Amino acid sequence: MKILVADDSRVMRQIVIRTLRQAGYDDHDIVEAEDGADALAKVSSEKPDLVLSDWNMPNMSGMECLQAMRASGSAVPFGFVTSEGSPEMREKAASAGALFLIAKPFTEDTFKEHLDGVIA
Amino acid sequence: MTGSVTDTGDRRRTSDAPLLITELIDEETVQSIAQEAWSALIGDDEFLVPLPGGLPDDAVSSWVEIVGAWSGSVVLTCGRSTAEQLARCLLAEHAPPVLDAEDVQDALGELANVVGGNVKAVLPGHSVLGLPEVGSAPEPGPDALRVDLLWRGQSLTITAQGSAGAPTARTNNQYENEVPL
Repeated sequence: MKILVADDSRVMRQIVIRTLRQAGYDDHDIVEAEDGADALAKVSSEKPDLVLSDWNMPNMSGMECLQAMRASGSAVPFGFVTSEGSPEMREKAASAGALFLIAKPFTEDTFKEHLDGVIA
Repeated sequence: MTGSVTDTGDRRRTSDAPLLITELIDEETVQSIAQEAWSALIGDDEFLVPLPGGLPDDAVSSWVEIVGAWSGSVVLTCGRSTAEQLARCLLAEHAPPVLDAEDVQDALGELANVVGGNVKAVLPGHSVLGLPEVGSAPEPGPDALRVDLLWRGQSLTITAQGSAGAPTARTNNQYENEVPL
């Protein structure tokens, strides 16, 4: 399985990748994207099986990336990993077609809770 | 006069007066948000102790802006050495022997982002969160809630400060030119 991790913070991308490993998802290919536009391009070129994306990013936000993916017909599973975990943001994420929203800060247990049904 | 309404001023206060951060959130909530971030991102055994210390002269800040019913910034400030230690903790095994300034700024900005995002979540109404910035934050005005903390015996502060009347922050580039991390 290939997982695309999109976050404008390199440090946070490392933390997300480390937490994936700690949660037991350590035998998957990881591709990194540094903003929403990069993520959108890599959804086409890398063909990931899952996208884990920050919400607030320069150039293109995670939400804009998700909307562009769905508008282009891509049904790749998409989840947010963001510091914005309010009910309002969760509702927006779900309405746009996100499978889940993991709020920062997160733990490996949070990842397991949301990803066990998504990652084989 | 029957049916008359006494003008208590409440309507004016609720419609005109800006919301003050101290009416919306307290120090304990900010500390709790920060502690959760530290436990999850820095380490299970990393504790923030609510004691005032003294910030060193080379203190650096990172912040995120919140725009909404209350508008302002959530600012994290600590010494340069503390910022580097925080970056090493966040990067863990990926931390190089010599840290890049960019990684330290990235780490400090992401901590402000996580704390600020969770502060935003408890504020009333719809708000928008900005991208993290690093540099020399504006001095807080009267609308400010400051929490003094110690991490590994080193001082850091988290301040939620209203933007109304606040001086302009020095930008990241200005900071980099002046005191590179």
